[in-house]
Amino acid sequence: MSSNPSRAAEGIEQELYAKRQKIYPREVHGLFARLRVTAVVSLLGLYYIVPWFRWDDRQAVLFDLPARKFYIFGLVFWPQDFFYLSGLLIIAALSLFFFTALAGRLWCGYACPQTVWTEAFMWLERIIEGEWSKQMKLDKAPWSGHKVLVKTIKHTVWIVFALWTGFTFVGYFTPILELGAKLLTFSTGPWETFWVFFYGFATYGNAGWLREQVCIYMCPYARFQSAMFDKNTLVISYDENRGEPRGGRKRGSDPKAQGLGDCINCRICVQVCPTGIDIRDGLQYQCIGCAACIDACDDVMDRMGYARGLVLYTTENTLEGRPTRVLRPRVIVYAVILVMLLGAVVYGIATRNPVGLDVIRDRNALFRETNEGFIENIYTLKILNKSDRDYTFGITASGIPGLKLVSDQPTVLVVGGAVANIVVRVQLDFADLKASTNAINFTVQAVDDDRMKAQEPARFLGPRGIER
Amino acid sequence: MSVPLVQRVVAVLWSSFLVAGVATILVFATFDPHDLTDPLGFSDVSRMTVYSIGFFLIWIVALLSSLLTVYFMRPVGSVNPGK
Repeated sequence: MSSNPSRAAEGIEQELYAKRQKIYPREVHGLFARLRVTAVVSLLGLYYIVPWFRWDDRQAVLFDLPARKFYIFGLVFWPQDFFYLSGLLIIAALSLFFFTALAGRLWCGYACPQTVWTEAFMWLERIIEGEWSKQMKLDKAPWSGHKVLVKTIKHTVWIVFALWTGFTFVGYFTPILELGAKLLTFSTGPWETFWVFFYGFATYGNAGWLREQVCIYMCPYARFQSAMFDKNTLVISYDENRGEPRGGRKRGSDPKAQGLGDCINCRICVQVCPTGIDIRDGLQYQCIGCAACIDACDDVMDRMGYARGLVLYTTENTLEGRPTRVLRPRVIVYAVILVMLLGAVVYGIATRNPVGLDVIRDRNALFRETNEGFIENIYTLKILNKSDRDYTFGITASGIPGLKLVSDQPTVLVVGGAVANIVVRVQLDFADLKASTNAINFTVQAVDDDRMKAQEPARFLGPRGIER
Repeated sequence: MSVPLVQRVVAVLWSSFLVAGVATILVFATFDPHDLTDPLGFSDVSRMTVYSIGFFLIWIVALLSSLLTVYFMRPVGSVNPGK
């Protein structure tokens, strides 16, 4: 963004990265604005409502970090299931690539939290301060009782909304009903309070103040998204052949007779742009693909009696008069990988082993010799019951003939969705020991269900230098 | 360097914040906070506390790295340029 000294009087702010002229996006109506509002309402609606859903006797969606368990409706995920989370993250990244290759920055324009919350904050701003021209006038006006009042109301509403957002955010990680009850009595924990304010402050700062600067300077995706673009990608473009030469004209006059194109140079496309660019200068890094300029220009074209689509979603190929190929190698490769990964994750979750077993060797001694002449190793077994009902498990050790497992409890009861720790001693007659280090296996098996079973390898150690 | 100070500060803080977020998830998906704190003798701290402090510690480490990157970006010619 350029800093024009003659505009200094209009209030250039020294912002984070560059001299920034505050942008007052003009309100816009039309197909894409409706699509965006629909996206904003449904995404924000989901965000604020989902933590309140119940499933059986618990919160339906809860990333219970204190208990290290993620609940997503009927499913419970453990740290051992981190694999699926990374799978989901890779799927999310690939979908981003796929949709970017197909239709540009759809994510930025309709679904990104930055867009969604900025849209909500601007909506509140419009209700309180009025439309863009009123907002500009108010900011230019000297401080007065009225200005202080309006600004105070705006920031209070923003802060309350931001804090509610922070509260909801923390409600995904700690049960929201308890959090709400604690909040009412001002007895939330120190970290809960901290993160409510942290996320609230981030929302207020990003959606209220930073806005398009987040996209321009802070967003990693914005920096590399153009790598996914090609000549067949749908992008928002100005049809230069049709629009130029631009210029003002009387309504109803014949532009051809005046040597003019269809662009009447009303600059409404610039006024509605949330990042303050002129789409007529071509595709720019700052363009977040919100399509506000399309809606604005279509409206002007309607009023002028011209055909719509002077600013439109199109591809570079179409603009150059060449055919557009939707199904091209890049898109097909993304789609195939995406479908395969999605299938793998769904299959993995559906056939997930409901029993988890971790074996931890005793840290203090590698082995010991018992009075009876046995070599003994001690292990702690962590048995995870990922299902929602209780099971009783039997434990066996195998791998060397003559291996004996000694435990205080012959079987272990593990409550649904819980972990049981049990210490076991494994003994082997010295005469049966074949090497200093031996591979063995632990198996846990529910007494009344064959499918509830897990096996985990471990090492059985004896004195050094044995090789038989 | 021609990049304004404020831009360098934000670049250091923000890039390390992003990396710290990812690293925190990876670290605590692998290690249970209690397994880390118990051997150190802090058995009564909550996991939330360990996650939060862990995040800030990782942020500081990442921040130091970003800081050094910016520091070493300084052209050699600007150090003791001579006559």
